[in-house]
Amino acid sequence: MSQSSGNGELQRDFVEKWRENGYNCFSSGHKFCREVCPVMQVTRNENHTPTAFHANIIAMDKGLLDIEDVADDYVHCTQCGGCEIRCPNTLFVGDFYQARTETVKVVRAARALMVDEGLDRDGWKLWNRLTNELKNEPVLGIEGDRPTGQDHVRDWAEGLDLPVGGETIMFADCEAAFYRTSNTRATAQVLQKAGVEFGLMNEQWCCGGPAAEMGYVDQSRAFAEHNLADWRASGVKRVIAIEPHDYIHFTEDYPAYFGEDFDIEVVQIVELVAELIKDGRLKLEHPINKTVTYHDPCRLNKRKNIHEAPRYILRSIPGLVLEDVDHVTQWSYCSGGGGGLPIEKPEITAEISDMRLARAKELDVDMLVSACVWSERPLARAGDEVGIEVADIIELVAESAGIEVGGSRGVSQPTVSR
Amino acid sequence: MTANPTVELDRAVVADLEAIMDEPGSVLTDVSSRANRSRVPAPFPVHRWAEHMPAAVVLPRTAEQVSEIVKLANRARVPVVPRAGGTGLNDGAVPLRGGIVVDVKRMNQIKEIDMIDRTVTVGPGINMLKLNEELGKYHVFHPDTPASYPCSLVGGRIACSGFSLLGSRFGHTRDLVISFEIVLPTGEIIRVGDGGGKKIRKSSTGFHLKHLFMGHQGTLGIVTEATLELVPKPEAEFAAFFAFDDYLRAHRTVHGIVTSGIATLAGTVIFDEKKVEYLRRDDEAFIPMPPWVNSVVATALYGTKAEVSEASKILMDLGRREGGRYTGDEMAVGDWASRHDRYANPLHGRLADGSVAPMSWHCEDASLNWSVIPQVREEWTAITQKYVDRYGIFDNWGMYCYTNASYKPWGDYLVEIDIGIWEEKLDDEKWAGWVDLKREIAKVSLAHGGSISSCHGTTRVGDAELVPEEMGGGWDVMLKIKRALDPNNIMNPGKQMLDQAYE
Repeated sequence: MSQSSGNGELQRDFVEKWRENGYNCFSSGHKFCREVCPVMQVTRNENHTPTAFHANIIAMDKGLLDIEDVADDYVHCTQCGGCEIRCPNTLFVGDFYQARTETVKVVRAARALMVDEGLDRDGWKLWNRLTNELKNEPVLGIEGDRPTGQDHVRDWAEGLDLPVGGETIMFADCEAAFYRTSNTRATAQVLQKAGVEFGLMNEQWCCGGPAAEMGYVDQSRAFAEHNLADWRASGVKRVIAIEPHDYIHFTEDYPAYFGEDFDIEVVQIVELVAELIKDGRLKLEHPINKTVTYHDPCRLNKRKNIHEAPRYILRSIPGLVLEDVDHVTQWSYCSGGGGGLPIEKPEITAEISDMRLARAKELDVDMLVSACVWSERPLARAGDEVGIEVADIIELVAESAGIEVGGSRGVSQPTVSR
Repeated sequence: MTANPTVELDRAVVADLEAIMDEPGSVLTDVSSRANRSRVPAPFPVHRWAEHMPAAVVLPRTAEQVSEIVKLANRARVPVVPRAGGTGLNDGAVPLRGGIVVDVKRMNQIKEIDMIDRTVTVGPGINMLKLNEELGKYHVFHPDTPASYPCSLVGGRIACSGFSLLGSRFGHTRDLVISFEIVLPTGEIIRVGDGGGKKIRKSSTGFHLKHLFMGHQGTLGIVTEATLELVPKPEAEFAAFFAFDDYLRAHRTVHGIVTSGIATLAGTVIFDEKKVEYLRRDDEAFIPMPPWVNSVVATALYGTKAEVSEASKILMDLGRREGGRYTGDEMAVGDWASRHDRYANPLHGRLADGSVAPMSWHCEDASLNWSVIPQVREEWTAITQKYVDRYGIFDNWGMYCYTNASYKPWGDYLVEIDIGIWEEKLDDEKWAGWVDLKREIAKVSLAHGGSISSCHGTTRVGDAELVPEEMGGGWDVMLKIKRALDPNNIMNPGKQMLDQAYE
């Protein structure tokens, strides 16, 4: 047994807070989660199972191990939430006992403890330091003169004549604002075409979600406070989240930070666009003659149960043939792009996205369509290798609506120096 | 100085393991890797966790690596404990004397799908649900579906000689595994089947070694490859649940159904009064039923549309003949579809005052003949109640009773009583109480001509000491076999009473 730094009080607090939740899993130990876990499908190392993440808490309680002993294990998670919904506890008795198995929160809390104990990983440390400096994530890498940060946060919108402020704003996710700018451009133009009144944020910082996922709670909260203050200053009442990670952060973390004071309506883009199509405000008339399959982004499907809207959108595009895989089967699918995994364990991310593309390949499709810009970089890399194009659902909507999107779909992988 | 293998391995042994494995991250001696391979879902003496930790974990990819590891263990006299899914309901995969855990999860490849001779050859680390996702593309399936279908792995199924919920129609693990490769306790790699090549299902040459090397709970070797049965995907499925106001009526009804000659009958399940009470109380997904219901019979048919359609009429008649009431399509479809989750869900129990506590699920799983089930049920329920009252950490979640024979639904049954155990509160005294409870239940099974376990195994104290009694004259043969195959007692030592082989 190793000794963690400090006096162990933080670890005791962590154990105290999560012990009951841990026992709910430990007592069962059935591991229905194991085979849906995307990381576990790659590493086949029981240390990386959700079961282990809970058992570690009990082991800490019994004095068998410390957070230092399991710090690297807790890096092995994309926070996709597949384990939680596959848990018989959640499925059958969770609501009954108010005892849903919380695994994503446990991983985040363990990572926060790692940060507090100085056990955070080098890659994450650097990523979050740079995010703090730039106020946006260093998605273009850190070498050379990269056009990231606040001076460039609205570069993607060039020529679109978008106002700043207003009651409704479109929150441009960092990856979409700097890397896959076709995503932000398509989204803004689709909304314009449908007559949705919206503006951009006055001073948009990163949503703070990635920091929260990697355990940097204070930084996450500081970013959230900035963003909320900015929204309040410009009279924002409604935020359009164009990306699922942001959506999770706005609908789960912001309310946790601000309690009842958080009175901003948050709208997910796929649900909004589906509505616009249904209402006839957005006409999709240009055929896209391709056979596609849809990748259920984990945070929409597994964590927010949003899977009908994107399918409705795809079925509304003329010419498009959808080879669908049902959303429950996709509980075990993932791009590997979430939870900071690509920063620390890019080789695991790559294997997860390779598996996803192999599944798409079996369907004999031209294209894999996602609705999560963070998934699209690893998926596109894997897609290149097997000859399958990877597109964002809103990019397809724009194309079918006859919009010249512009921007970049991204080509290169960012590098993070250690 | 030789290191104590329950705590740490000699550094030279670790170096040898690393040389054999030749892959970073495949020999693990850190505390996390060891602590997380100390237990299975069976009730665990959490207050004595450290005593169950292995000294090292290896994650092999090939039979040759497993063989070399076992040979090394013999040279170093270090115990070896095989581990597949770690989902057993007994202690097969729990290290009792430290040593090296051989975790086969990385051996999860599908090596060959043979649609001509209808076999699939896989590594022992593959899960059946995952396997069937692949096989679905070929319109066949491997019908080994225990309650742990989404998580148990083929290697563990063989080592435990598993039970399938559809076994009366399609057979159980022993019938569905045609042959397998196993690393013997001395390191030789052999293939066992009924005889002949790896795809031969029936032979009368030699001893039937396949059966010897199944159900030994990892005490006779480590499976490294298996050739499994492929079955045409059934065209039709029909499930029906019948409710009764009296257990004996339910019991008689099952007898009528299983002896009717319906060939598509995949199985029947009886839920007893305590089980219905438990599900009513604590399973939010259980379909509400009128208060008079105290037992339920579940049945399912699989086959071609023509077969199932006709047989379903007979089944509906037989199900109602003794006063059973059909519980409706919602339960028939929904509950049967969720059977794997349903039978693995009890993660909480109630204390005497009705408050909720996180409890581990223990399922005591005897094989019993149909005729003795009502009497055994009474005795088991009374014994359990005695311990519930005495210790305050147990809860009786009632009994299920499943058709147990392969390819025929009559005769004997897997009878289980599900008992909640609040592990968090365990100390030596309560653990001893738990073991006593197990032993009393097992003795009842033996007294009624049954077997202590249909599929979970008998490696745990409380059952283990009764194995010689159940085996009778066969026990001595078992000891001779164990000693002959595992002269140094390195293969999963301390299980059952097999140490007697070395006395």
